[in-house]
Amino acid sequence: MSRTVAVMAIVLTIAFRPVHGRAPIAQDRVAPRADARPTKNPLEGNALAISNGAAMFRNRCAGCHGPDAHGFLGPDLTGFWGAGGTDDRMFDIVRRGVPGTEMIAADPLRVLDRDIWQVLAYIRTLGAVPATPPTGDAANGERVFRANCSGCHMVNGRGGQLGPDLSRIGSARPRAGLAGKLRGSSAFIRPGYEAVTLVTRGGERIRGIKKNEDEFSVQVMDTRERLQGYLKANLAEYTSDKQSLMPVYGSDRLNDIQLDDLLRYLTGLRGGDATRQ
Amino acid sequence: MRAVMARIVQATVVAAAVCSSLAAQQPASSQVTAQDLRDGLKNPTRWITYGGDYGNHRHSPLTQITPANVARLTPQWQFQTDTLGKFEAAPLVLDGVVYVTGPLDTGWAIDARTGRQIWRYRRDLPSGLIACCGLVNRGFGVLGDRLFKTTLDAHVVAISRKTGAIEWDTAMEDFRHGYSGTTAPLVVKDKVIVGVAGAEYGVRGFIDAYDAQTGKQAWRFYTTAGPDDPGHGTWRGSDPKAWEHGGGSIWVPGAYDPELNLVYWGTGNAGPDYSGLEREGDNLYTASIVALDADSGKLRWHYQFTPHDTWDYDSTQMPVLADVTLGGQLRKVVLFANRNGFFYVLDRATGKLIRGKPFIETTWAKEIRADGRPILLPNSVPSDEGTRVCPDQSGGTNWMAPSFDPALGLFFVTARESCGIFFTWKDDYTPGEAFRGGAVQRLVETQSSTLRAIDVTTGERRWEFPYTSQSWAGVLSTASGLVFAGGSGNVMAFDAKSGKNLWHFQIGSSLYAGAITYLVDDKQYVLMPAGTTLTAFAIAEF
Repeated sequence: MSRTVAVMAIVLTIAFRPVHGRAPIAQDRVAPRADARPTKNPLEGNALAISNGAAMFRNRCAGCHGPDAHGFLGPDLTGFWGAGGTDDRMFDIVRRGVPGTEMIAADPLRVLDRDIWQVLAYIRTLGAVPATPPTGDAANGERVFRANCSGCHMVNGRGGQLGPDLSRIGSARPRAGLAGKLRGSSAFIRPGYEAVTLVTRGGERIRGIKKNEDEFSVQVMDTRERLQGYLKANLAEYTSDKQSLMPVYGSDRLNDIQLDDLLRYLTGLRGGDATRQ
Repeated sequence: MRAVMARIVQATVVAAAVCSSLAAQQPASSQVTAQDLRDGLKNPTRWITYGGDYGNHRHSPLTQITPANVARLTPQWQFQTDTLGKFEAAPLVLDGVVYVTGPLDTGWAIDARTGRQIWRYRRDLPSGLIACCGLVNRGFGVLGDRLFKTTLDAHVVAISRKTGAIEWDTAMEDFRHGYSGTTAPLVVKDKVIVGVAGAEYGVRGFIDAYDAQTGKQAWRFYTTAGPDDPGHGTWRGSDPKAWEHGGGSIWVPGAYDPELNLVYWGTGNAGPDYSGLEREGDNLYTASIVALDADSGKLRWHYQFTPHDTWDYDSTQMPVLADVTLGGQLRKVVLFANRNGFFYVLDRATGKLIRGKPFIETTWAKEIRADGRPILLPNSVPSDEGTRVCPDQSGGTNWMAPSFDPALGLFFVTARESCGIFFTWKDDYTPGEAFRGGAVQRLVETQSSTLRAIDVTTGERRWEFPYTSQSWAGVLSTASGLVFAGGSGNVMAFDAKSGKNLWHFQIGSSLYAGAITYLVDDKQYVLMPAGTTLTAFAIAEF
């Protein structure tokens, strides 16, 4: 055992091993530790933890938060502490997930407490991009949203259902990702919202989003929000489209000021009334 | 008092006489003998081993359901469990009764004609269970009038076939250290042969034999070579105790060749799964097939599919024993579609490689050399930056059982195409805690699956049927020229020669097990365990 490993082993032993004599079992790991775990990262600055945490981050987090944690589909993490966030709070977010977003809870049997601390130790080494003051007018952004988006997207119970519910989109997506999506990126389409085109044997052409599919059938919501299943044997054509059904909002349809206002509104949507946040 | 006693004695005598008289009129409850197990599916009213027979062909001689009439296959009954979780078991059928295990250590005896429950078994499991990959079970073994099963808390138990009551209960290992039992037992002569899961928790894997009468351990074979075992030198690296928590778990049953008196078991991945620095060397006998003397458990030969595994390529697929003509010679072989993406043909007397050929896209190894070692491709080892490798950690196939049609010489397997980014990091071993040394990011765009028919004489693909999602379904074939498999919740039947889809039924749950078939009252049933439901199909009578 190398010295670093030995030191880390001691740290982990102090931090995580139960005090009673027998070997730890799953329930012991979950319940008592949740209460007894430290509120400050015991592995902050630990070289091996940072190295392990980097690999774990790339594996488990980078797909959404970007390779440098500056945000991609999910939000920038590097500014979390600068904005007043604590280790304790970040640990809870990772362990419990964020409801209504793709950020799922970390299963204690697969992701140990020490894994989370190692990832946090790594993220703390990444340079935070200074937060830019928010711009745009959320109230006007909501008007832009109602005029252009709510036909397909619901917010707080109002709007259409062809696209994803955006009531918590401010917790799930960074501003840059939302801007890219509006301007036409189909780089990521949420499962359950892939566009399909069907042509029946009678010649009817149907555009919609695919809700499910098997070897013999496909289930779609068409652009009029009609849910319907189709047997593939009864279709003359069936194609999965690479492009999202969402129209491209170029500067001809949404100027930079309107975009700015809309982004201010969207990034404030965290499950409550956005105009009051 | 004396009068009361006299009446009781009299009543008992009368009852005994009635029982005796009734027994004389009715067939006795059949005892499954060692010879019955050797006979496999010769009696098609039975399905009494996981793979149908000791060679694991999962190929039934029944011909009532054919390519011509399979379109009329219709559900006859369904049995719904009262337990959350999913079936991964092969049901056994005997004397018109289905015996099947479910998740969370449950089991049932069910009328094979109607689906009505006869008895139910449920183990009172301790809290704090550690089982990485599903609280499942892969089925009963049977001998005499007893059933045998492994348990999630790493015991092996004997259960009365008549009542579901426990008859003996033996601990294999301490479940708190990550050991669990999910494999179906392989019953050979008077022994119940089983093993333990838990390579993701740093267990030291083993294959155990227990006396079917008493539950006493008869022998143990460790799948990681200890200091006194040949092969111990294949455990080098920074951790001198790596072999003590080196994985090699056992969670899918093996095969048995009565003539050679050898049992064949595939062994699990080395641990930690994705980090090899602590355990340099080949890490025998992980990710291998071992041939053991059935009486003594002594190693006769081994073949390692994935030396120094760092991709979680368990070799816990079901070995298939076959006699096939290769190069004009009748050879006794083991057929093995491995999680690492290669389809192997081995001499089953010696373990020598006859052929190893990819059956899916593989990027970890270029080919298998004539001496049996894989030639690794560059940049295929997990790294802290991430390394793209195909197949991903779930592999080219997995626990889902294949089938083999000896008449057609075709091996039918659920084949998965997939790639992943493999990451590694340093893990310290703590008993009972996850010990993986890394993880894998699946690349969604690379994922697909098919049912593939492989010609065993050439290793070439004869036909395939693409599924729309990743299938985990086992396969069954019949002498009438049918193959039963499926995906996306559809149980499907195919023409064995052409792969043409002939029938399907949406069962309402993903498929994680394979169908079996049996005859009762001269009617052939196909029985599919899926989700929390058993569904029995037969040809509709109009």
